[in-house]
Amino acid sequence: MTSSFKSIEENLKAEAGKLLESGRVEIVLAYGRGYDENHPMPFVAKHPSDVANMVFNEYCIHNLARYLVRYPRGTKIAVAVKAADCRAVIQLIQEEKIKRDDVVFLGIPVYGMKNPKTGEIIDSKTTCGMYNPVLYDVLLGEEVHGQKIVSPYDVLADYEAMDKEARWAFWKKEFDRCIRCYACRKACPMCYCDPCFIDQSKPRWGDKSPQSHGNLMYHLTRFHHLAGRCIDCGECSRACPVDIPLYLFHKKVAKECEEMFGQAAGMSIDDKPALVNFRVDDSDKILE
Amino acid sequence: MLKKTAINKISELAAVLMEKGTLLAPVKEAAGFNFREISDAGQVNLHFHNTIISPKSAFFPQMEDFVRYQTGKSILEAAPVELNLKPVFLFGVRPCDVKSFEIMDIHFSGTGAVDPYWKKRREAATIFGHAFDLNEAADPAEFYHTLGIGAADPQGSDIFMVTKDNDLLFKSITPKGKKLLEELTMLTEASAGDRKYFEDYIARGHDYKTRFASVEPKAIATEFESIFDNREFWKNVSNACLSCGVCTFVCPTCYCFDICDETLFNKGTRRRVWDACMFTDFTLEASGHNPRTNVYQRLRQKICHKYSFSIRKYGVISCVGCGRCTRYCPVNIDIFSIVEQAVKAKWYKRL
Amino acid sequence: MTNKNPYIPMPVKISRIIDEVDTHDIKTFRFEFLNKEDEAGFKYLPGQFGELSIYGKGESPIGIASSPTQKGYVEFTVQRAGAVVPGMVTSALHEMEEGALMGIRGPLGKSWPLEYLEGKNIVIVGGGFAFTTLRSLINYMIYGKNRERFGSITIIYGARNPGLLLYKDELIEWGKRTDLNLNVTVDKADAAWKGREGFVPAVCKEVAPGKENAVAVICGPPVMIRFTLPVFFDLGFSKANIITSLEMRMKCGIGKCGRCNVGSKYVCTDGPVFSLAELDNLTQEY
Repeated sequence: MTSSFKSIEENLKAEAGKLLESGRVEIVLAYGRGYDENHPMPFVAKHPSDVANMVFNEYCIHNLARYLVRYPRGTKIAVAVKAADCRAVIQLIQEEKIKRDDVVFLGIPVYGMKNPKTGEIIDSKTTCGMYNPVLYDVLLGEEVHGQKIVSPYDVLADYEAMDKEARWAFWKKEFDRCIRCYACRKACPMCYCDPCFIDQSKPRWGDKSPQSHGNLMYHLTRFHHLAGRCIDCGECSRACPVDIPLYLFHKKVAKECEEMFGQAAGMSIDDKPALVNFRVDDSDKILE
Repeated sequence: MLKKTAINKISELAAVLMEKGTLLAPVKEAAGFNFREISDAGQVNLHFHNTIISPKSAFFPQMEDFVRYQTGKSILEAAPVELNLKPVFLFGVRPCDVKSFEIMDIHFSGTGAVDPYWKKRREAATIFGHAFDLNEAADPAEFYHTLGIGAADPQGSDIFMVTKDNDLLFKSITPKGKKLLEELTMLTEASAGDRKYFEDYIARGHDYKTRFASVEPKAIATEFESIFDNREFWKNVSNACLSCGVCTFVCPTCYCFDICDETLFNKGTRRRVWDACMFTDFTLEASGHNPRTNVYQRLRQKICHKYSFSIRKYGVISCVGCGRCTRYCPVNIDIFSIVEQAVKAKWYKRL
Repeated sequence: MTNKNPYIPMPVKISRIIDEVDTHDIKTFRFEFLNKEDEAGFKYLPGQFGELSIYGKGESPIGIASSPTQKGYVEFTVQRAGAVVPGMVTSALHEMEEGALMGIRGPLGKSWPLEYLEGKNIVIVGGGFAFTTLRSLINYMIYGKNRERFGSITIIYGARNPGLLLYKDELIEWGKRTDLNLNVTVDKADAAWKGREGFVPAVCKEVAPGKENAVAVICGPPVMIRFTLPVFFDLGFSKANIITSLEMRMKCGIGKCGRCNVGSKYVCTDGPVFSLAELDNLTQEY
């Protein structure tokens, strides 16, 4: 038996209230009311009284790890994290953007989250498909067990069946639809570069207009900047107003990284980021 | 003049319009509908609520090429890109979006320098407005009623369309629309019953409710001026904002652009490209100074631009309540709620 | 469409380049129009600006440094920009030689309020590189009979050191005139410098121009402005009688692209010239 959304919401409010009341944290990153029930929003609680405005339901899909780097280093923050979100926080700790001691993980074990745009259940097709946070300080519900475990890479079957030319054609077609609103990088918890390479003017890596070559430059570079770092939360794809299936590329790169280095992103705070850490027995596949 | 055709014959009408010029109409795509240039008459699809990107792109495309040049060559060899437009038929525009053209006209061609591209594209176009389906519930994000726009307002369209059962009714609103309607011989005369239905439908459009707040332009401008320096308010409403460009790109009244020289090898084009006040580098100066470094300042700019600055400068709220910014915001930021909060009690004042 | 299209630059030839300062990063470019009708159409007043345009590099908004009384050419004094964001246009411009062709759009923006300044005592305060449109104003006011239209003219101009003063030949000429009260100062003198030494705000205090029927026109780096304004407030100048020019990132220069929006104003068309009284009514985001 797993906890209902309502009970998770109640636990979230109670724990957030305690943390703010005691002064253990200055900020709680959670979910609040949006313009209707299907559209809750990321919410920042700073006072115990703010807690009353928190909500948790099946549409609370956002990865709140995205907001952590917005606050000055050393700010004590509690963050509500579902499985993938939790991995993002761990990855940020690995990358030394935040300190473990500064963050309280409010773990949410959950399944059956829904995309408000499509009404579809969000599962291993567009995310890592895990149900339980791999690390938490407080767990806001009972762990999910007995649900079907599907590899997040299963969705790649069709993609991997394509040859090189077909894949190139596939991405070219997808990226031609990009309008360069940059919602993908802004929603991504791991995209914290300031300035992003694509905004630099000297050298200018890619044109600003939404055309093939600039779009390819932006997306392919971003994909590779996220190699070994993407925790497969699917936020980029959900943020995209034209539904480019960005998750496919991220999953493919994540799969290759995992095969080469035996490590998935954001699974343990003791890991070092795969592409930063040199080990003598590292795979040479990338050089072949 | 009122004419009609069966909805299942819409592709025939499309074919005629394609012969007369360029047809831009809603097309179903992966993520939803968008206005596209029609190359196959069968693509036109009126089973849509509204498009993802607003139809402003018909007159203010995301890219507008100004000049082609070659690096290393003289400026005298650079060639301005001339706009030689065929007549354009913009088909199936919702009343709130039609209203946006009027607001954009004030900016691009009604005040100060005239933007030649906007003006030319606008003049080349005949607008087929299309009433919302009054039997269908309003989208929860919409609030065009707040801006005084009805779900079936024909003003601003050249020809206005209403669906009646399996038929589509066409009424000419302007002389330009009348002339075109006369030329479209494949349309048939409407009956007296159709005429009554059409007029009733327009009237019913005003009773059709979207989200509503009582907003008087001058009062709301003053309200936003009075809270401009209230950082707590703006930080609260922008806590979730990612500072991406979705809201501005889908918006029918956002007009900010950049002018870019884009060169590949030695061939280049100077063009304008949509830009967004939500982007971090929008106001970054060469000196490194940036007047708007924080997310809350950028969201404040966007909202105050529409609900305060525009009223002071052009006398109108530059928002039509189409709801796109809210609908496509990855984190569900809702401009209507922010306006409501600004109008209502000063809930954000913590004592 | 081409002729009237405000986005298409007019072709000009660089007829002269003057290396203004010891650090060689500020040059004055003199442009001559290739088409007579473009020259005739480029009717400007001191305080306005133009977009210097180089295809492949982009455009940069720069104040016009010459005066409309100087016929046959326009001048722009340009600093190679780019402490943080590399200035593509200004760097390219600094590489160009006399005789080269490029483009200009303009004139753009509002000028110094000449009608308002007429009959008044004018105090001009400039610091460093930001002296360019003030130079335009001075040359305009002292040209022939124009001089009679204005009361006394007091100029306070400062640079960090003598080598960084702009328009050195003109400063000498202006110094010889009896109808100008010219005060040139440097923050730090060198062995050859015989003039004043001291910061602009201190010199303003010393010169102490009277507030009666007077208008101060002030341009300079933010730090200079910050310390100079209190001096003028102490001297009794009202905010309506202190005028300055704003800098803001601009692109189109004609009030369309939205970039230089501050409150309900566009710096490019409603400014860049504003009185302090007008700035008080703007949102403080510039």
